[in-house]
Amino acid sequence: MVTKETMVEDVVTIPGIISYFIQHGVSPITCDGAFPQSIGRLLEIKKVPDPDAFIDGINAFLKGLEAAIDSN
Amino acid sequence: MSEMPRPQDASYKMLINGKFVDASNGATRKSYCPANGEFLASFPDATKEDVDAAVKAAWAAFDSWKKVSVTEKQAILTKIADVIDANKETLAMIESLDNGKPIRETMTVDIPLSSDHFRYFAGVIRGEEGQASIIDDTAQGLFGNNLSIILREPIGVVGQIIPWNFPFAMAAWKIAPVLAAGDCTVIKPSSTTSLSLLHLAKLIAPLLPPGVVNVITGRGSTTGQFMLDHPDFRKLAFTGSTEVGYSVADAAAKKLIPSTLELGGKSANIFFPDCNWAKAIEGVHLGILFNQGQVCCAGSRVFVHEDIYDKFVAELVASFKKVNVNVPWENTTQMGSQVDEGQLQKILSYVEIGKQEGAKVAVGGARATGNGLEKGAFMQPTLLVDVNNKMRVAQEEIFGPVAVVIKFKTEEEVIALANDSEYGLGGAVWTQDINRAFRVARGIETGRVWVNQYNDLPAHTPFGGYKKSGIGRETHKVILDHYTQMKNIFINFEEKAIGLY
Repeated sequence: MVTKETMVEDVVTIPGIISYFIQHGVSPITCDGAFPQSIGRLLEIKKVPDPDAFIDGINAFLKGLEAAIDSN
Repeated sequence: MSEMPRPQDASYKMLINGKFVDASNGATRKSYCPANGEFLASFPDATKEDVDAAVKAAWAAFDSWKKVSVTEKQAILTKIADVIDANKETLAMIESLDNGKPIRETMTVDIPLSSDHFRYFAGVIRGEEGQASIIDDTAQGLFGNNLSIILREPIGVVGQIIPWNFPFAMAAWKIAPVLAAGDCTVIKPSSTTSLSLLHLAKLIAPLLPPGVVNVITGRGSTTGQFMLDHPDFRKLAFTGSTEVGYSVADAAAKKLIPSTLELGGKSANIFFPDCNWAKAIEGVHLGILFNQGQVCCAGSRVFVHEDIYDKFVAELVASFKKVNVNVPWENTTQMGSQVDEGQLQKILSYVEIGKQEGAKVAVGGARATGNGLEKGAFMQPTLLVDVNNKMRVAQEEIFGPVAVVIKFKTEEEVIALANDSEYGLGGAVWTQDINRAFRVARGIETGRVWVNQYNDLPAHTPFGGYKKSGIGRETHKVILDHYTQMKNIFINFEEKAIGLY
């Protein structure tokens, strides 16, 4: 379960998550590596209008990923 | 594919107070070659206590280091340059293996330009004479017969954080002026590419008093954050993304200390019909393929005049296809690996976004494979066409070998398009009309505009950004202003009192 407090570096190694972030307008990695603070802080800096919806989207993505892994 | 060389140590330690140490809790991180996934070396994952020890060591060294004579500092800076040159092959290969960039670039750019950086500042400080002026006009103050002396004094202990795209060169950009200015430093490389700076630390530690340069390693979220939170820095210097730049600026503001920030970019590379054709075609390559496009000032927006657009793009497509993408340690490799798989995924995601926005892939657009490249994070040189400047791929920093190509009609239009960006770091104009070149260069709101060249970054030219590309300038002697503070000594020579009381 990802929350606003989850560190970006803790999720960027999940397959497909970088693409998910970028498709939704936020790059979680830069020339510094993974953004070194929480997802909430990154969304704040990137002025994401609805951070809760963004986080919900990540969790839905992760649920789909788990289901896909289970079905394999 | 030839076997990967292994010039690096199997493990490295941090440099704190002149000693090579592990993290206080023994934690380590590992570095892998992005071209094949092979383990390179382990290095410490610094704790808060390690950062604190480094800052304390730097302050302990500062009192004597700030008094070191200019001639002695010049000699030390020159010796550092000599040591870098003497170890050029080793340092270049370590950099190539850790970062993925081709050995032909590290041998001809990263390492030699870094040693030159130390030589440049070794020379510059001999020319520093301060300023003095006679102020005799009583209307400007209570007294006449005055002498104003302006001196630059070192600022103290500086915290420096550098990115993974030019680990060695960025370290040189940070350390050389700090030493020249009389400051001490705690410097942290990216945890993705720490090895070349750790290797350099081994080479230069014998040349410096303990504590003057402290190299700590670890993650940005921990070690980097400990640095930002540390109360005892007098200045922060950061090269990296605009996103993290906000946090660095915030940390500096909370401490009421200055920061220099060199951040992201989305630079315009502009081609007029009268450009020197061969140079111009090469200029697109230099702008977006150098360092696999992982350059803050990369020429990632290619603006081509409508009169030459079709021919120019056709030639670019043909030449991009010929670029030799291969492992970084081969001398014939023109483009190496992206820094890691995550960065490659980011680049590929942007290619997909470009397609969704209506762009077409003229060349490349996919992972580079074959001949063993599947093991690494290799990307094909890529051009996206049918792009307009409002698309995300034209506004956001992709940080890979992917340029968007945009057609323009007039000089005024292309200046407006170039400036339609939140960034303002670099850019170039290609024309043989000097008047036009100057007009366009003046019109572009960036800190650097190249004319008929790209990505050339010598020590004696100031580099830094307008807008969200940063604050302050690096390279050039102007950086010494950022690492010093102004002391004004104001002397009155009158023998008589004013008579006010």
